[in-house]
Amino acid sequence: MKEKDLKRFIPWILILPVLLLRSFTTIYPIFKTIYNSFFDIRVLSGVDEFTGFGNYINIFKDDKTLATFEFTGIFVVVSMFFHIILGVILGLILNMEFKGRRFLRTIVLIPWAMPAVVTGMAAKWAFNNDYGLVNDFIRWFNPDFQLSWLIHKNTARIAVIIMDLWKDLPFFAILILSGLQFISNEIYEAARVDGASGLKSFFHITLPLMLKNILMLCIPFTLWRLTTFDLVYSMTSGGPGEDTSLIAYRISMEAFTNLNIGFAAALAVFLFIIMAVFSAVNLKLMNKLED
Amino acid sequence: MKKIINVILSFALVLTTLAGCGGNNDAKGNANKEKEPNQESEQQDDTETKDELTLYTIMSTDPDFEDWLKNVEEATGLKINYIAAPTDSDTRQQKITTILSTGDSSVDVFEVNDEMCASFKNTGWLEGLNDTVMTEDIRDEFPVGYVADMITDDNGQIIGVPGYSGYLAFWVNQEIMDEVGVDSITNKEEFLEYMEKASGNGRFGYGGSWEKTYVFNELAQFVNMFGGDYLDWTNPKNKEAMEFLHMLVDEGYTPIDQIADKYEQMNPKFNDGKYGCLFMWGLGTDYSDAGMLGEDKIHMAMVPQFSDQKYIFTDSWSYVLNAASENKDAAVKFLEYMASKEGMEANYKAFDHYPARKDVAEVVVPDTDPAKEMYSRYANECVVKGRPMLPQTMEFITAMGTAFQSYIKDEITIDEFVDKAQEYTETYSK
Repeated sequence: MKEKDLKRFIPWILILPVLLLRSFTTIYPIFKTIYNSFFDIRVLSGVDEFTGFGNYINIFKDDKTLATFEFTGIFVVVSMFFHIILGVILGLILNMEFKGRRFLRTIVLIPWAMPAVVTGMAAKWAFNNDYGLVNDFIRWFNPDFQLSWLIHKNTARIAVIIMDLWKDLPFFAILILSGLQFISNEIYEAARVDGASGLKSFFHITLPLMLKNILMLCIPFTLWRLTTFDLVYSMTSGGPGEDTSLIAYRISMEAFTNLNIGFAAALAVFLFIIMAVFSAVNLKLMNKLED
Repeated sequence: MKKIINVILSFALVLTTLAGCGGNNDAKGNANKEKEPNQESEQQDDTETKDELTLYTIMSTDPDFEDWLKNVEEATGLKINYIAAPTDSDTRQQKITTILSTGDSSVDVFEVNDEMCASFKNTGWLEGLNDTVMTEDIRDEFPVGYVADMITDDNGQIIGVPGYSGYLAFWVNQEIMDEVGVDSITNKEEFLEYMEKASGNGRFGYGGSWEKTYVFNELAQFVNMFGGDYLDWTNPKNKEAMEFLHMLVDEGYTPIDQIADKYEQMNPKFNDGKYGCLFMWGLGTDYSDAGMLGEDKIHMAMVPQFSDQKYIFTDSWSYVLNAASENKDAAVKFLEYMASKEGMEANYKAFDHYPARKDVAEVVVPDTDPAKEMYSRYANECVVKGRPMLPQTMEFITAMGTAFQSYIKDEITIDEFVDKAQEYTETYSK
């Protein structure tokens, strides 16, 4: 073997242990999941038989799963909408020159640094009608206010989305802020000289220059929304009924509580496909923007 | 380059989502050969010759746990490592299920509740104890119906040692009863009279925890009280019981808000005087901690009789032996102790766990213990039942709870609820 060829192999040899480990911990479970999704595996009933696409068909027959899809769709769209709108606004505020800006930039990240399970457990109490601080705050302005947020479908969903935004919005805003800092002040100066107002500068300079950045951020943030589990697990347990159940939560329940491994695997593969399609579309959109 | 990084990042995210779902379908797979290090306790290094075992326990947060553990170690000559079970019921069940279903031998003995017993007893994950611990000489001292219904598998093997005896007791707030002038709640009429008088101004005659996995206890209790059968929803008494609960909400006798509540939300409300009565397990530790336990405050009462009989549920947490355990001798020694008079006495003294063996309860529990009289009355005056569980317990419980919440919120009618309940019963009993 020539020395040149040998040199080419050395990096591969060096990373081989990691590749093997990764294959075992990631690649194998993925193929095993896909394989399991074609079997009806119910551990508690002792059932383990080939079912073809039976699990995939059952996904669309199961009321609980359909309710889960409904809320997952709402959760992702609404949460991402407000992530973008409020995230950009917060990013712009954090980019402004004012006293205490550094302090604000620091504390704004505190919710993001908290574990989602802790956030969820605190939120369960916060939205309690009798003991919760949310209603307590509202009663400052409306003393007769009574609402049990977590027992009604819509208010429970709103509460979950609010908590998701409370937790992750600051991180989104900080990433927007980092993008804003790459826009040269000279461009704004030039626009100001040409008589552009602040609003005009935002729509004609900031937004176009930030759009690609925002779209790029949308990929991981949307995927994180799609895989959100811990917040609803600790805050609502998917309730009332299945009204705040998310796909990742349902997968976890089916896999680890009900031990319906085959059905859980089919749901996981289905989620994988949704995420892959979303990522592909988003990347295509970004390429189009680049062109 | 940026594009490549984007693609890699996106797919890495997607792939890692899938990575956790490749469950092992070999439910009785080989046990892990290596023992995990003890996660919680650092024991003295004086036990080289002692047999060792690992206990998965729900009691480790009790202040008397360390003393209890020391006591058990001294009495059995074992070195007992322990792992604290999560306090959240879903998480706890998931962890135990995962350990048992994968044949993991890192835990030898678990404390499991009735739901888990019902789910696991016929899976082969638990060791039968007929010949070793639950021998014929002591078997009849345990609640016979409970042992038969809850912890005996299809082959007749008893798979657990009940750690205590508990009832889904009826608790009343005496202060409220005195205030509204109700002396006793012995039947449906008196129950409704109390509801009417005690409810109003933010207070409710009856309180519950109707979170979808918790409401099961009360649904089954009311079905029993009406003389129905929780596993047969063609029985008109079941429907009557559900309509009764709906009426309690409609009349403002109980709050609909409680469909988000578990015990951790319900008990503070009871302590705060928001509820006049409720059904609850245990000996009232939460009320005692709040200074509310007592004959003139919150106390146990006899279950009201709504139909031909008084009905009450009993439950327990049982010690079970992992079939994959590599320390079975030590585990059996531990279980023998827990089934003995000394073991039950230790449990009672440390954790206020009422002894599961009636012969032990008679000797160990002093007459001054208020629970003794009421537990004795429950045993003698009520029809004592184990809770109705199906093999796919948690799915059944969750489905029923979800349907009940829909019914109570008027999203479905009573007939739709009853149809669903019957369908779930048939589906999850397979």
